Amino acid sequence: MNDFHKFKTLSPALRALGALSMTLLLACGGKPATGGAAPTSGDAAQPTEPGKTTEPTTPGDPNAPTSGALKIVSSLPRTGSANAQTTTIVNGIKMAIDDIGGKVGGFTVTYEDWDDASAKKGDWDPEVEAGNADKAVGDKNVVAYIGTYNSGAAMISMPVLNKAGLLMVSPANTYPALTKPGTGEAHEPAAYRPSGKITYFRVVPADDMQGAVGARWAQKMGAKSVYVLHDNGLYGKGVAAVFQQTAEDLGLKVHAFEAVDPKAQEYKSLMTKVKELNPDVVYYGGTTQTNAGQLVKDFVAVGATGKFMVPDGCFEEAFIQAAGAENANDRVFVTFGGVPPEKLVGQGADFVAAYKKKYGADPEAYAVYGYMATKVAIEAIKAAGKHDRWAISEAAAKVKFDDSALGKFEFTPDGDTTMATMSGNVVKAGKFEFVTLLSNE
Amino acid sequence: MTATATARRPVAPKPLWKRFELYLLLVLVIYPFFPFLDQAISAISGEQLRLDRQLVNIMIFAILALALNLQVGYAGLLQLGIAAFFAIGAFTTGVVSVEKYPFQFGFWGSIIMAPIVAGVAGLLLGAPTVRLKGDYLAIVTLGFGEVVRVVTLNLDAITDGPRGLSPIPSPWIPPDLAAGLGDVAKQSHFVTMYFVALIVLIALVAVFTLMERSRAGRAFVALREDELASACMGLNPAKTKLAAFAVGAAIAGFAGALYATNLQTTAEPNTYDFNYSIIVLCCVIIGGLGSLRGVLLGVGVLITFDSVLSPVLTKLIQKGVGASDNVFLSLTNWKLMIFGLALILTMRYKPEGLWPSARVKAELHEGTGGDK
Amino acid sequence: MELVIQQLLLGLTNGMVFALIALGYTMVYGILELINFAHGDLFMLASFLALTLVGLFGLGDASGGTLAVGLVGVIVVCALFAAGLNWVVDRVVYKPLRKAPKLAPLVSAIGVSFVFMNLGLFWGGLPMDEFGGGVAPAAPKSFPELLPNINLLGEDATLRVTPKDLLVIVSSLVVMAALFWFVNRTKLGKAMRATAQNPVAARLMGIDVDKVIGATFLIGGALAGFAAVIYSLYINTINFQMGYQNGLYAFTAAVLGGIGNIRGAVLGGLVIGLLRAFSDQFIGAQWQPAILFGTLILILVFRPTGLLGSTAREKV
Repeated sequence: MNDFHKFKTLSPALRALGALSMTLLLACGGKPATGGAAPTSGDAAQPTEPGKTTEPTTPGDPNAPTSGALKIVSSLPRTGSANAQTTTIVNGIKMAIDDIGGKVGGFTVTYEDWDDASAKKGDWDPEVEAGNADKAVGDKNVVAYIGTYNSGAAMISMPVLNKAGLLMVSPANTYPALTKPGTGEAHEPAAYRPSGKITYFRVVPADDMQGAVGARWAQKMGAKSVYVLHDNGLYGKGVAAVFQQTAEDLGLKVHAFEAVDPKAQEYKSLMTKVKELNPDVVYYGGTTQTNAGQLVKDFVAVGATGKFMVPDGCFEEAFIQAAGAENANDRVFVTFGGVPPEKLVGQGADFVAAYKKKYGADPEAYAVYGYMATKVAIEAIKAAGKHDRWAISEAAAKVKFDDSALGKFEFTPDGDTTMATMSGNVVKAGKFEFVTLLSNE
Repeated sequence: MTATATARRPVAPKPLWKRFELYLLLVLVIYPFFPFLDQAISAISGEQLRLDRQLVNIMIFAILALALNLQVGYAGLLQLGIAAFFAIGAFTTGVVSVEKYPFQFGFWGSIIMAPIVAGVAGLLLGAPTVRLKGDYLAIVTLGFGEVVRVVTLNLDAITDGPRGLSPIPSPWIPPDLAAGLGDVAKQSHFVTMYFVALIVLIALVAVFTLMERSRAGRAFVALREDELASACMGLNPAKTKLAAFAVGAAIAGFAGALYATNLQTTAEPNTYDFNYSIIVLCCVIIGGLGSLRGVLLGVGVLITFDSVLSPVLTKLIQKGVGASDNVFLSLTNWKLMIFGLALILTMRYKPEGLWPSARVKAELHEGTGGDK
Repeated sequence: MELVIQQLLLGLTNGMVFALIALGYTMVYGILELINFAHGDLFMLASFLALTLVGLFGLGDASGGTLAVGLVGVIVVCALFAAGLNWVVDRVVYKPLRKAPKLAPLVSAIGVSFVFMNLGLFWGGLPMDEFGGGVAPAAPKSFPELLPNINLLGEDATLRVTPKDLLVIVSSLVVMAALFWFVNRTKLGKAMRATAQNPVAARLMGIDVDKVIGATFLIGGALAGFAAVIYSLYINTINFQMGYQNGLYAFTAAVLGGIGNIRGAVLGGLVIGLLRAFSDQFIGAQWQPAILFGTLILILVFRPTGLLGSTAREKV
């Protein structure tokens, strides 16, 4: 009860501080509005706080150590609904680390699985992603950052990591403008690389390719009209928009471009509307997590006929499980970047066998991406040969695979994968079945 | 009335130097320059905590919680959509400061615009609805939260839809000041955000402390105790509540401006969902409804656990049992459970909150015989 | 026109499901003035149990009489499970807080909701075929199509009525009728209404308020368990986070109808179902939640105690 009074004598001090703050705010508020011109800047790259041991290393630092302990970390949403997909990614990452027995050259490499989701959001949380980026930059042993899962999260951590020269490899970001100039806003992707150097790479093809390829495939299968749905997320909307654009360019009739509420229980009303228009193909830009399974299910439930096409966010067993094999069979078509693992020969086949042995299940698309993202980091460390972030990032740009779990690929100057093979798959007897290779011509 | 009487009983004031608030404040002021906790942990375990960076988020969250406390704790309005006003603040900041639009007021302009826009939204929503009974108001605010989220998501011509508005520029600070700060200026974004958040937080605490003993504060007490009687005494309950609702909304908008500027993006509209509102409410109630210190403590405990402590624990467990594939052996899979149990247990043993205000506590026990 | 009728039917069917969940909310609220945030998650756990039972009994391949008997069994077990769990939660979590500030049990309920959600996540990891082998605990689970997906009016008819629609509507109506009978005609029902009106007076009249509260949680839970099975049969997908959205809509339905009012909850559920259907059809799916909640706000502005709510009952 007397607690209340504690504030009494403190308040003059507080009042003074309050007044001070107000003065400061007013003073600054009165300045000409040049604020907008200030360069952006999470400054995390300058770890100059006293006591911090990290020193910014510059490329070519001859004194960089060539042995010691290095860390690869991943920042993926591990709490909440994305957990299913990120678990398979993490499995892939662990396999890549196990493959090399935790050793690269003179270095020992350990892996840490960081969560960029919080219990309070139940999904990726911008604050946590920003915190992870800061932590990674602050820990001098971290030399590679595998992530993120969500492109929105990448927008937050990319500039921070880029300034520190820290290598970032994403197993899942597909938003085109993260790397490709001219595909998004004017400031993209420059805003994500404040140092001017490329430190971000992705092993998945961006949406601009996948959406286009999907539309072409739909046309080849004889579609005259399409109905485009998306989940109003960065990924789903992006890929659906490209699909719609390409479909229009190809002369297909696009009935609608409509977002759904990915948390809704069911979509029978929506599908009834779709059924009335009788499109040849319904495209859904979304993932298992954003209810693609339920859409397929209700599409069938209202008695609609026609094909249903989805992007690689649904290329996983969990999607068929969610949609119900009986609904998805022979009706659902999935595009995927790269050749499906089971069609691979050489290293790809080895990967599939090893994965099956270790986890008792066929690897999902995401597992392959996670595995390859980590491989890129490992190859970069090997090539750089020293504990120097900038050097490792530079080395990553030159990483090249003649044969891998994703086939042959290297990186474009923007950090995109050169892998231009997309595959078209269909659900048959409760499994994905490879149909054809797709290309953007 | 016994409540106010007891609260006014004179108590010998503690000297300033014995107050822990003073030391807490001192620690907060020097922390960005001397992050001793981070250093200690880093020295012991090699883990980077980056508490200094997390503190900015925590302080912004605290500002939001204080806004909600004004509405729920003081005015007794059950508000389940605080995230909507937070979002309005963040997106206003985006619109007035990104390059895409002609405004480009910068940070200092946006922290004026954001509270105004959010406050007006609060006024518009509150005017016809504050007279609703508790739970009906709750659902109206909840609904408003969903409407704002969906509308920001769908109006991509303005808000860039799921991408959100970015990049939001760092606060502009006078070059002279920047030069004077030397090394620190290299981290200008973080340091500026840290101190802006700290100063705002202190100012809010000061204002609320003063308010508790002002006419407005007494009006709130009267309203909570007996709306009918207070109306008879000449108080206009609807007006008082509406004022609290609108001002709370404006402060939440302010917090939104800080949040977006700190992240340099508004992030996707789904960030500001119902869940977010609920967590802020939990912080306020866990700490102690209507208690300033309680609310700050509530935020400190819940958010520190969620974004600082749990990653550290996860790492320790990963080190202990090795990276396991077992669903039960990963802390992330237990996060919701721990969070939930924490809420249940706190309420079980501290139903008035961890650190309730003396006045609210007295009010609550009045009539049940206890003025504990 | 047929399209409108079709949407009307879909809206009503969905609305019935919301109404069933909303009843549990509204009953607890009527007695305790507690918004039981965990109700949606209780419903979720019951649906996980339903899927587990379907797997254990092998109902996926059953048909005819076996299927009917099996389903009744599943409904009974799920209802008992949810009722029991709800009752236990009340005894352990809410009961000690009867005299606490009004918002304390609300936070506890949110806590229980988190705990249930986490249990659902673990449950999804069960190594059963029905759960996809438990490889991805967080992924949505498909509930087998136990009822044939055929059009009762003939496959060529424009209007589509499936056995599922009938099941939802008929069984919901039966359960609701039973509930009304119980509340209005039995002694315990009368005690409930009395407690809802004024717990102190009820106690003075010799009503064991504690017992009434326990009974309310039991019935509310049983309704959630029943709703879970009906929902699973109708929607055919369950996941550990579904309690959130369903709870949100059901809670909205309860308030819309006038919280604490049983007929109101049913009406609220139906209104929400219809709003969803028609906004999808005529406005666009992306606006659905905005339209739903926008309408809700408008209704409450003009009818401050919900559609069927009694005029401001003051509790002192």
